[in-house]
Amino acid sequence: MFHRYLILVALLLSATAHAQEEQPSISQLLQEPFLDDYYSNVVYGYEIVTDSQRHASRYVGNALNCSSCHLQAGTQKDALPLNVAGMYPKWRAKNGKRNGIGLRIRECFLYSMDGIMPPEDAPEVLAVSAYVSYLSQGEVMGAEPEGRGVPTLPDTGYDPNPASGRLVYLQQCASCHGEQGQGVGVAPPVWGLDSFNRGAGMHGIETAAGFIWANMPLGQGRSLSQQQALDVAAYINLQIRPADPRESRLLKLLEAVLP
Amino acid sequence: MIARVARQLLREALPDLAWRHRLTHWRTEIFAGFVGAVLVIPQGINFAWLAGMQPEYGLYCAIFVTLFASLLGSSSMMSGPNTAVAILIGAAVLPLAGRGSPVYVDFVFLLCLMVGIVQLLFWLLRAGRLFQYISPAAISGISAGAGFLIVMSSLDSLLGLSSFQTTFFYQKLYVILSDAVDLVSPYSLSIALVTITAGYLARERSSRYFLLIAVAAGYVAGLVVAFIWPQPVTELEYLGRMPIEWLPWRVPTLTMEYLMISVSLIPYAVTIAVIGLAQSLVIVRELKMETDQDIRLDKEVYAQGVANFLAPFFSAFAGAGSFNRTKANQSLGATTPLSTLAASVFVLLLVSLLGPVLTWMPMAALAGTLFIVGANMIKWSDVQHYARVRSELMIYLATFLCIVFFGLAAGVTVAVVLSVTAFLLNISRLELREESTAAGTLLRVRGALFYASMETLSDAFHRHLQGDLTVDLQYATHIDQSAVDFFAREAAQMRRRAQTLHLRVNATQSHFLQSMGVGDNVRLEALQDDAPPATIPFAPHHSTTLTGETR
Ligand code: HEC
Ligand code: HEC
Repeated sequence: MFHRYLILVALLLSATAHAQEEQPSISQLLQEPFLDDYYSNVVYGYEIVTDSQRHASRYVGNALNCSSCHLQAGTQKDALPLNVAGMYPKWRAKNGKRNGIGLRIRECFLYSMDGIMPPEDAPEVLAVSAYVSYLSQGEVMGAEPEGRGVPTLPDTGYDPNPASGRLVYLQQCASCHGEQGQGVGVAPPVWGLDSFNRGAGMHGIETAAGFIWANMPLGQGRSLSQQQALDVAAYINLQIRPADPRESRLLKLLEAVLP
Repeated sequence: MIARVARQLLREALPDLAWRHRLTHWRTEIFAGFVGAVLVIPQGINFAWLAGMQPEYGLYCAIFVTLFASLLGSSSMMSGPNTAVAILIGAAVLPLAGRGSPVYVDFVFLLCLMVGIVQLLFWLLRAGRLFQYISPAAISGISAGAGFLIVMSSLDSLLGLSSFQTTFFYQKLYVILSDAVDLVSPYSLSIALVTITAGYLARERSSRYFLLIAVAAGYVAGLVVAFIWPQPVTELEYLGRMPIEWLPWRVPTLTMEYLMISVSLIPYAVTIAVIGLAQSLVIVRELKMETDQDIRLDKEVYAQGVANFLAPFFSAFAGAGSFNRTKANQSLGATTPLSTLAASVFVLLLVSLLGPVLTWMPMAALAGTLFIVGANMIKWSDVQHYARVRSELMIYLATFLCIVFFGLAAGVTVAVVLSVTAFLLNISRLELREESTAAGTLLRVRGALFYASMETLSDAFHRHLQGDLTVDLQYATHIDQSAVDFFAREAAQMRRRAQTLHLRVNATQSHFLQSMGVGDNVRLEALQDDAPPATIPFAPHHSTTLTGETR
């Protein structure tokens, strides 16, 4: 009797699995000779995220790729995954400018990639939006996907200390990111003029610490203590990097000139 | 026979470098090429935008289409990015894929490949001279319509709107006007206004460089705006970095699926091929009249075809002759293809050098120049010019309105159909002049006597139910079998009414009529061949001629 019940459940499960149509994986899509408008944009979006230097060079101003922060092409939990289409409104404001996810993508171009904000309807933005909705297949509209963003570190009771962060950096990170933070080989620069600018989300100590704690050193996420992550984030935060594009250059000039 | 045709085709197909013997002022040519390159850069970027492509493809078009067309052609015509062609590319491919996406780019290149093939077919069929039947009024109408479309599409970037599609232009205007405060970005608008004002002020001084001055003014205005307000506030669009390569080799995607879908592109390919050749041949014919270059139309058709066919292999979209750049080239004294060759090399050099500067070019400034270009294409003087002949004004207006409401492709079709109709109506028109003489009625005929013009003649005959009729055929340009049959039939009927039909003909006509069998009922009166009448008894024809008014 109990066995029969189990078989029934198994059958039901497989039936629902079939009903929910599987979408092709990226590697399958890459092998297709012909893709329709949507899937070709998904593939293009995937290429932009993994190799922004080549496929979105028009709007990129530094040496990063989207996947430098959105690890595993935006599929890794706790590493700013991109399966978040359900979190953004689909509506367009009257002037067509505040198009939810589109704006978020354009902001990452402007701040994280220290580049030019692409127009709302740039092919690159549309392609990444398509890729984001592809990744979000199966997520619940309006519900926060599991592992969105980066983990928020609890208050450790101590202020982040850049000086001890420097030691952590030299021990744990410099082998890949270089002593000057300039990046070596596949590891991208974490500061300097080829990194994200002061307007970027990663420039916030909390976000950076969460990201570093969960994912760095690459492959050994969560090996640092939370305090170490906060310290190293504070250290990185102090280094030189491009200015915040939100500041008016005229005001800065006036500030410098006027007493 | 076949061998001769093949040899002739081969001779046209190979580049003809005879112009190098005429090359006396190579420095003039190279300087003209430099100016051409400077002029084409903003055009290439703008027209790429019209075609829905990334700007570098427009620059590749300015480099490679110019290069191939001038290498293979026989004239100093400047080919390259062309407004009507660019608009049509956009109209053709937008229904198939999102603007600028990889599939879109693939389809554009497939389309250009087809355009090249169609043009090469025109060449093989020796159809170049068919384009003379497209009336100048139609070409001006197309140009004005394209100008209107350009002005409308420049509004998007000019006012800083995200581009939105409406079926008819007035809907767009309505949306813009009713929501101006929300929609229009003051930053874009002010940059565009600076550009346009500078352009119109500069045009008074220099008719050649005013667009460059306009772009430069817009660029500076953009810098000032960016200095005061940061980009997140203005949300200004910039050109961005252009990944320019020196040899952007690529093989167009030609899978079964692409070919199946691209069947729907064939009508557009034909339209683009026709409009491209029509414009290029107008330019070439004018060059031929105004300069002493040894220009062959068929060779130019071939050069355009090959250039457009090869364009996709070098990441360029299709192009055609450019009226304004050819004029600039000519006024700088260039007479050989060397200037155009130099132009394409200079584009490559300039863009590689200017790349970082162009990155921060505001799209609003480019839209401003596009606005000027478009507005310049709509000319009141054209309307006045064609207003003198009703049929031509009709063609001009019908073409223009059709483009404004239904798009460029529909307009081009209407233009071609109307020109051919007008042409046919024109040649089937007979001019008749009656005189009463002692021997009966004398009917002088001018025009071509063929099946389509018989109606007029038969009306005239049926007004003469008594007395003899003499028809003077010395101004008839053509007589065909149906005209001969007509005369034989009428003569037989008249004979039954005791009338006689006389035809006053020259020796060749007499010979022809007899051999076609007019029969005995018709009396042929021989004319002295070498004694033309002192005055031609017809009023002069009214028609406009091809002048510098067309682009
Ligand atoms: C320097 C690291 C970095 C790079 C590089 C980067 N991003 Fe981000 N991105 C972030 C951070 C941090 C956040 C979330 C933080 C915030 O809210 O500001 C984020 C958020 C996003 C989001 C919204 C995610 C959510 O959870 O709502 C999208 C979409 C996005 N980025 C797209 C991109 C794209 C596309 C690129 C490449 C062009 C890119 N990002 C490059 C750091 C980066
Ligand atoms: C094994 C080599 C390696 C080590 C060690 C390492 N990283 Fe990374 N890090 C990477 C790579 C590679 C990426 C880019 C991710 C990708 O491309 O998949 C990255 C990305 C980053 C980023 C986001 C991108 C950027 O450039 O801003 C930050 C921040 C970062 N690492 C900080 C650290 C810190 C802090 C440490 C030391 C605790 C560290 N990393 C140790 C390899 C490493």
